[in-house]
Amino acid sequence: MIKVMSKIQIIGPKGLLDEVIQVLHNTGIVHIESVPSRISLEESYVTRMPVEKEKAVLRERLDRIFERLKGIYLLLPPQAEAASGYRPGLGEVFVVADITSDEFLREIAELEKEIKGLHAEKAELSDELSSIARYERILKGIAPLVAKLKGANNFETIGITIDRAKEDIIPLLEDEISRITEGRYQFFVKDIDRDIIGVVITYPRQYDEKIKTLISTEAISEIKLPQRYAAMTLFDALRDMVSRREEVPHRVRDIDNSLKRFSEEWHKRLETLMGLVRDTIDELKALTYCAHTRFAFVITGWIPKDKYYALEKAIKDRFSDRVMVHEIAIREDEIDLIPVYIKNPGILRPFEVFLNVLPPPKYTSIDPTPYIALFFPTFFGLILGDAGYGIIIFAVSLYLKRRFKGREFVSNLASVFIISSLFAVVFGILFGEFFGDLGERLGLIHPLLFDRIKALQVFLILAVGIGVGHIALGLMLAIVNYAHRGKTRMAMAKASTLLLILAMVAILTVLAGYLPRGLITPGTIVALAAFVALILLEGVLGPLEALKTVGNILSYARIMAIGTASVVLASVANKLGGLAGSMFFGILIAGLIHTINLFLGILGPTIHSLRLHYVEFFSKFYETGGRKYEPFKKTGK
Amino acid sequence: MEKGLVALAAAIAIAIPALATAWAQSRIGSAGAGAVAEKPELSGIVIILVAIPETMVILGFVIAYLILF
Repeated sequence: MIKVMSKIQIIGPKGLLDEVIQVLHNTGIVHIESVPSRISLEESYVTRMPVEKEKAVLRERLDRIFERLKGIYLLLPPQAEAASGYRPGLGEVFVVADITSDEFLREIAELEKEIKGLHAEKAELSDELSSIARYERILKGIAPLVAKLKGANNFETIGITIDRAKEDIIPLLEDEISRITEGRYQFFVKDIDRDIIGVVITYPRQYDEKIKTLISTEAISEIKLPQRYAAMTLFDALRDMVSRREEVPHRVRDIDNSLKRFSEEWHKRLETLMGLVRDTIDELKALTYCAHTRFAFVITGWIPKDKYYALEKAIKDRFSDRVMVHEIAIREDEIDLIPVYIKNPGILRPFEVFLNVLPPPKYTSIDPTPYIALFFPTFFGLILGDAGYGIIIFAVSLYLKRRFKGREFVSNLASVFIISSLFAVVFGILFGEFFGDLGERLGLIHPLLFDRIKALQVFLILAVGIGVGHIALGLMLAIVNYAHRGKTRMAMAKASTLLLILAMVAILTVLAGYLPRGLITPGTIVALAAFVALILLEGVLGPLEALKTVGNILSYARIMAIGTASVVLASVANKLGGLAGSMFFGILIAGLIHTINLFLGILGPTIHSLRLHYVEFFSKFYETGGRKYEPFKKTGK
Repeated sequence: MEKGLVALAAAIAIAIPALATAWAQSRIGSAGAGAVAEKPELSGIVIILVAIPETMVILGFVIAYLILF
């Protein structure tokens, strides 16, 4: 539900401002409002608080320190809670003065240098490894040739690679080298792989320049060695590469161990320090949101109404009567600016995850979480409707919830699926489905409500009926909300739409023979009256909107359509498994198709249930455009 | 003959909206993939946007069902 908020003002002597900010930071419940610029025009004795120069300098310094700490933190391997060697002892409580001290900054600079140095070395080594891997294949190919030429001191040896597609140039190249060296050369050709041919040429040193020019003008790629090996001969380079290939991984492991040790010592400590710096920056920032008179400061903000006394007590306990907190009236034009704080009881809270993808609702709108908590699992269960799949999803969700306990998003999603899978199990029992028709084939369960494959019409009517109920609920929520806010005209328009829809449903039900024919006249009269009321209240667009609502209701047919597709695929899995001939292949084939269906059975019902909420249901009453409640609270650990 | 025409009508009723849905989803999907690459926080909204044109094929399915039964 959307919590009722109070607008508060805190007034006190200027000398206490820093302390008050700290108290507000510790209580962590006030959403501090920035002073609007117009305040200085309206009330000349209250102006926006100027930032003291030394505080601005401190904030800038802290910003830089934070970035630096974050840079080091990100370079350290993450540390599991239990594995960390760092335990903040009683003697180690940081204050801002410690962090900004020259001694601390020197320590940090040294740490940064060491860690960055290790990372740079590691990056260099990994580059070297990958270049060794690249050259090794080529060098190994020509190694036997180079080995033959070892000891020929007055001779130069070069290696080149030639694409197999250009193989024809090899004899031409040899002719040319023969001409240049007057026949004093050796020319070796070796296949390196499918695409590359390696060529090693040995010739007297005096012809080096001419041969290098020939190779460069003919656009043949000479084997260029990495910087480290550039000065070596091909043979020495190869020998060195082989030994480096052994050494480098050892050195990388050493570096990793060093980083791990640094992490054990510093990871948690850096987290604490970053928290402290961030909190101090926040406090300095909050100062700029305040207003002041000659002697007093004024802080304006929002808090949940039920927290007002806690705040009042915290201020009174610390400052007695020197600082005053009071609630002020909310003006009509401020209603849309009230921060929105959504808080639901424990079981509903995981479903708030679905609101995160939407902009927050307006303060005067409705929190749809309780409705999602009821209808999402219902739709999911109705679409999936299989006890076997439900049990698997339940087990996987339970595992994920335990495994990712600390990660709120995954944990919430797992909770949603735990509840939804239970609905799938219940509907599975009602529809007599356990891995499709396997339960029935084995005589385990039978349809209690109806068989989804046979009773298509019943299922369709049920789905559209649920649509009527869900949309009617959305319209009713809108009516109550508009009436509550005094927007009678809007409330009446929504009521007319609801009446028109219900009357049309009644007429269709009569025509289908489910209701007595006597109801057709009153139904038509109500429909006509609602239609006229809609035109009067909303113009031509009113009936069009109602027509769109009819489309919304029919859209609920997807519950039946996707549900039927799922059960048919499950039955196909069992049938194909049965046709396999052997039990092993039967189980394998059926298991494979069931796995695919299970995956689709999670994805499809989730997306379609959400869509029915976001598009069909929310469009009736949910108004976006709210501002999220962001209390001024400590983020540091 | 009449039975065949009824079946054909039902097939057309679902096939054309299915093609229309596929076309709309391809456009929304490619635009959505671009948007998600720029702003990953939009992925939830993009999934919903991709699912929106499916109403067409669902309505086509309802019509096909009404034709057949």
